[in-house]
Amino acid sequence: MAASYWESSQRQFWTFSKPKLIAMRSKLEESERSVVQQFPLPERRLLNIYFMQQIQRLGKKLGNLRQQAMATAQVYVRRYYLTVELRRTNPYLVLSAALYIACKMEECPQHIRIIVVEAHNLWPDAVMADISKLGECEFAIIAELSSQLIVHHPYRSLGELQPTFGLETEETTLAWSIINDHYLTDLPLMYPPFIIAITAAFLAVVLRPSQSGTQGQIQAAGLAKALDSVTNAQSSPGSGPNPRVQKMVNWLAESSVDMEQIVDCTQELISLYEVWEQYNEKTCKDQISRFVKSRSLEK
Amino acid sequence: MAGGYTSKKRVYDRYRIIGFISSGTYGRVYKAVGRNGQVGEFAIKKFKPDKEGEVQYTGISQSAIREMALCSELSHPNIVHTVEIILEDKCIFIVFEYAEHDLLQIIHHHTQSNRFAIPAPSIKSILYQLLQGLLYLHRNWVMHRDLKPANIMVTSAGEVKIGDLGLARLVYKPISSLFSGDKVVVTIWYRAPELLLGSKHYTPAVDLWAVGCIFAELLSLRPIFKGEEAKMDSKKLPPFQRNQMQKIIEIMGIPNKEKWPLLSSMPEYAQLGALAANNPRLNKPFGLANWYNQTIANNKYPPNQPGAAPGSEGLNLLQGLLEYDPEKRLNAEQALKHPYFTQGDKPTENCFEGVQTEYPHRRVSNEDNDIRTSSLPGTKRSGLPDDSLIGRPAKRLKEG
Repeated sequence: MAASYWESSQRQFWTFSKPKLIAMRSKLEESERSVVQQFPLPERRLLNIYFMQQIQRLGKKLGNLRQQAMATAQVYVRRYYLTVELRRTNPYLVLSAALYIACKMEECPQHIRIIVVEAHNLWPDAVMADISKLGECEFAIIAELSSQLIVHHPYRSLGELQPTFGLETEETTLAWSIINDHYLTDLPLMYPPFIIAITAAFLAVVLRPSQSGTQGQIQAAGLAKALDSVTNAQSSPGSGPNPRVQKMVNWLAESSVDMEQIVDCTQELISLYEVWEQYNEKTCKDQISRFVKSRSLEK
Repeated sequence: MAGGYTSKKRVYDRYRIIGFISSGTYGRVYKAVGRNGQVGEFAIKKFKPDKEGEVQYTGISQSAIREMALCSELSHPNIVHTVEIILEDKCIFIVFEYAEHDLLQIIHHHTQSNRFAIPAPSIKSILYQLLQGLLYLHRNWVMHRDLKPANIMVTSAGEVKIGDLGLARLVYKPISSLFSGDKVVVTIWYRAPELLLGSKHYTPAVDLWAVGCIFAELLSLRPIFKGEEAKMDSKKLPPFQRNQMQKIIEIMGIPNKEKWPLLSSMPEYAQLGALAANNPRLNKPFGLANWYNQTIANNKYPPNQPGAAPGSEGLNLLQGLLEYDPEKRLNAEQALKHPYFTQGDKPTENCFEGVQTEYPHRRVSNEDNDIRTSSLPGTKRSGLPDDSLIGRPAKRLKEG
């Protein structure tokens, strides 16, 4: 993949700078001003958390789908909503169709009928048991994504980094879950997968799973400390608190990896974990139902 | 979705269909010319909906999705260029650049009444271009899995382009599904021995075996291993392709553990012993060198003119491609560095350079010009749409 990423559609067409993302979104909002004003929505990342949870629920119904298929589906959804206003769509249908496509691309195909039935069972008010609807949404998504469906994920890069960084099992697991979380931010639209993987590996070593206490959600404060150790190690080489962290920093210094990108990724993640504390599933659900119902998007 | 899906691009606004080229289980291919600013000739592959005259969306088959994704990802002078993909009226149209010829057609032309060999420089050029396209695919972790003369296009300018990524797969995707999903891969005559022996963990080396078979076919004008396909049994398990394996052994000899260490771990390894026990002829193989020398003589390649015959380097390259052990088989990069290409005359960019032969144009029929309303041949499907593709008998019009 390392070879093919450079010419990939992901790099050429689906990687944006932060200002570019802001510009695209404000242009979209501008053109859809009335619906945007009529139906306020939670912060984008909170919606992403909600969408991720819905995809996971559907994935579970489909027999514990591979994480990579769910990650691919999330990327499709993120890309799709860069050019299509969310309030013009039925998000539940979009999530289901994105997962349907992702399953085919990630070689764990599911029959359309099963996806439709399970989606209908999960969201009976929003998704009708109608294959044609899902198939139509599939067309819409693929057309909007210009059939560019191959997604390069950081998971593979992480696997390649594991021996280089001498990651222990818990560290790899932690890095893996950081990668899972990065799909909730704009990072997959901004950085190459190996930058994300390096960031995740780095943070995993700095955070040390045993010290971060309870498994599961990573604390913003812990990450902020991690960021400090990154920048410290950079500014005063040789005096880092953790020799392994120092070793990674040295490795990064010798590689052509841009440290600023790692720092930026870390900051995005810190900010995500801060926002996460405000997450409320019900708010997301209700605000989505409002526009889906009143605009009859479920029909 | 409110209002439903309507395509922003319309096939008829951009292309005028001139005629029908071929059909297969996936749908049909049409020849078209551009209109309204679109310039040139095109081949448009239309994927048919699962059922004839479908008025509802039924979901896109996995193989169509794969092909669409790969076509929009890959770009190389020796891969058929994808101009655009249009999703319109419940159909998918992949618009390709047009190529006047393909290798099957070219080989066929040489077997006509006054049978004559394909000039050695043409073969060298074709092979070189084919390997460059393949190197690009493999560097991008794509296995083609269905290389055969009919899938290799040649433009009027003599550029060779690999086409039909309908069975192509990314190498690093889960291996378990590679075999179970598609059941059978690669047209049987070009199928690598590790596939015939039931390997589930195969690699891009399968494509290089196919290149070896194509090289041999360009030299002799007929498939080198022309086996008869064993049909799927009632349990829908892929059968052991006994006859195909036999054809290979008749020339190449029986593979053994000394030359191919992992041979005994192949699922169908036991079949090999049974095959040899019942057929004493297989213990006295013809030998690839004999086959080669005889072919060169039969097709009257001049023996003493360097460049006018493929020579001993040609044989050596062929041996490297038709190597039993996939780990020892030449990869695309090694093949391109082979003395066959690097010594003597360099491969020409135009495979028709210096060639007097006028190859017939691709036959395009006018029977079915309506890309949107034409009725399509029905095919049986079961299970997951299209993933049960068996063999895929690509019907194509016979030339001339």
